Amino acid sequence: MKINLLSILLPVALCSLPGLVRAGDLPKVKVFSTGGTIQGSGATRDAIANYKPAIFTPKQLLDNLPEAAKIADLSCEEIAATGSGGIDTKIQLKLAKAINAWLAQSDTTGAVVTHGTATLEETAYFLNLTIHSDKPVVVVGSMRPHSAISRDGPLNLYNAIRTAANPEARDKGVLVLLNEEINAARDVTKTNTERVNTFESRDLGPIGFADSDRIVFYRKLLYRHTHKSEFDVSKLTELPKVDIVYGYQEGGRDAVDALIAAGAKGIVLDDNAPGFTAAVKDGREKGIVFVQSDRKGSGRVLESARSAERGVVTADNLNAQKARQLLRLALTKTSDPKEIQRIFDEY
Amino acid sequence: MKAIFVLVAFTSLAQIAAAQEIPKDPPPITSDSSHLPRVVLISMGGTIASRAPDRMNITNYGGKDQPKVDPQDWIHDLPELANIARITLEDFRPPTDRKERETMEDMREVAHRLNELANDPAVDGVVITHGTNTMAEVAFYVNLTVKTDKPIVFVGSQRPWTGISGDGPLNLYDAVRVAASPQARGKGVLHCMNQNINTARDVTKTSAYRVQTFKGVDVGAIGFADPDRIVFYREPTRKHTVSSEFAGMDFKSLPPVEVFYSYTEAPGYVIDAAVEHGVKGIVVDGVGAGVTTNSETEAIKRAQAKGVVVVITARVHGGRVQETVTRTTAKLVNGDNLPPEKARILLQFALTKTSDWREIKRYFDEY
Repeated sequence: MKINLLSILLPVALCSLPGLVRAGDLPKVKVFSTGGTIQGSGATRDAIANYKPAIFTPKQLLDNLPEAAKIADLSCEEIAATGSGGIDTKIQLKLAKAINAWLAQSDTTGAVVTHGTATLEETAYFLNLTIHSDKPVVVVGSMRPHSAISRDGPLNLYNAIRTAANPEARDKGVLVLLNEEINAARDVTKTNTERVNTFESRDLGPIGFADSDRIVFYRKLLYRHTHKSEFDVSKLTELPKVDIVYGYQEGGRDAVDALIAAGAKGIVLDDNAPGFTAAVKDGREKGIVFVQSDRKGSGRVLESARSAERGVVTADNLNAQKARQLLRLALTKTSDPKEIQRIFDEY
Repeated sequence: MKAIFVLVAFTSLAQIAAAQEIPKDPPPITSDSSHLPRVVLISMGGTIASRAPDRMNITNYGGKDQPKVDPQDWIHDLPELANIARITLEDFRPPTDRKERETMEDMREVAHRLNELANDPAVDGVVITHGTNTMAEVAFYVNLTVKTDKPIVFVGSQRPWTGISGDGPLNLYDAVRVAASPQARGKGVLHCMNQNINTARDVTKTSAYRVQTFKGVDVGAIGFADPDRIVFYREPTRKHTVSSEFAGMDFKSLPPVEVFYSYTEAPGYVIDAAVEHGVKGIVVDGVGAGVTTNSETEAIKRAQAKGVVVVITARVHGGRVQETVTRTTAKLVNGDNLPPEKARILLQFALTKTSDWREIKRYFDEY
């Protein structure tokens, strides 16, 4: 079934183009796969939304993209085969360790990561904080499965490999590449459930483009990332439990209390709710760290004397799911809100 | 003639004009300001320097008979400025009785003055007010010609200084904060309105009346002037100010370059006419990804035969005009993601160095 589909959809796979340059002369890029829609397959070509993730292997994706072998010396490593919902801390740590090991080799150029799009931004930001290299790391996904008509995956993957092989992409942190746009892992978020232009950096825009004529960058990043990060996960097998509570009218403290009872060491409050004030007061007495983010999806949470007095850390313009990633890494270092505020100001 | 005023001190509270959105009880002014950064505030006029007869008038202001807002008036109405910087005022408003509202000579004069201020150890940063319509291209001109890593911040407003809920006071206050901020150094010429900090190269006006009109359409803001602090997330990679080949130079005149907008059946004869007038370069703002009509294409070839350099931009105003085999064969310079009015200025400067289209393409790749 899978093979039939391939032979119908991907005639290009059959005509492997002879490379003009020997693979040994090309930049070495490894594709680390976790699954997602980009590796997904539906029963028919028009199954755009009804499919299973992580059906195609990374090798199959690369075999179907012989053009990529002309621009990079490619290899692949399967970290997981799941959708966004299946990505957990274990997979994230395994991924960070594998990429760090790959980039530490002197003859490697860059890394590409395939990922489901729903939580892609979280893993990308996690890597932005835990990869200790200035070599390019590009996280890629697609909105349509590999089996679909007008699938966006192959061009996204090709552009991700081009970017990972490009020297100008060094020292720009972990990058997210879909739809020809190069976004910074810290700033990008998924903004639409279905469209191919779903990834946007609402506050700051992309930092470059993977255009047909060249890869072009317009921005350098000023906050700390990758090789300037203080977080080391090389010896960790788990991370402190951090959860998110959404704020809304009449929202109470039940969720906060329940999460603390379940062992949360940190809680991200996404916007405000009437019940949060008392819950924070009690939680602080137990040493729980609270971070204030905002559900509006754009703009900074401003620092204020009132927040600092309550011992609540402000999340700058990180969204709640990214604030969670940073908070659990911060908690591996300290549980002092002042020090964690310093971390939120710098990353 | 440029009048220069020096702000010494303000001891009295501002007299609050009923028309204005200025706080009634401004905070006391710091008695010791000697530690504050020194910012030069240059007026090139604009809506931010305009008055209307009543405060509900936010679109039909200015005009010959209406008194203007002089630079001293800003200081008078916004005494809080004295808490964030030691401000010196300079007036570079074009004369009102002149035929043209603004000329390239006005840009040259202000750039010349900015190069002087760049070398003045008693200046930490500069704020320039300007009308919003052509502000982005003036900022880009300055970005290419002023040799400094001191902050230079362009600011304006969408509503007149006297308008209800006027955006001018906060914009001006924020622009001075940015100019006084050491973090703003070395990032090229900046633009600050609506609390967003954009770069001169990338910012453009996107709405006729809204206060959020200025945006970096392709690549966004690089920071914010938020109430708690000035915050920068990014800096531009393209050449500017200290790394510009044109920085510190004073161009008495620039080679003439004109812009042509493309559309269905856009004729080539207007291009011929410009070549007849002696232009050295043309920018064609093509449809889609930078496509011209056949009539324009033929006129472009005739122009190139006379040594005119041609840059292609895209009227969609988002995305780059790319290098393609077709363009390279036709010796057309791809204008990257510059809008035509900025491509025109870069082409004018590039033509002072060379008329080789390949070398000019390099300028468009690097700036």
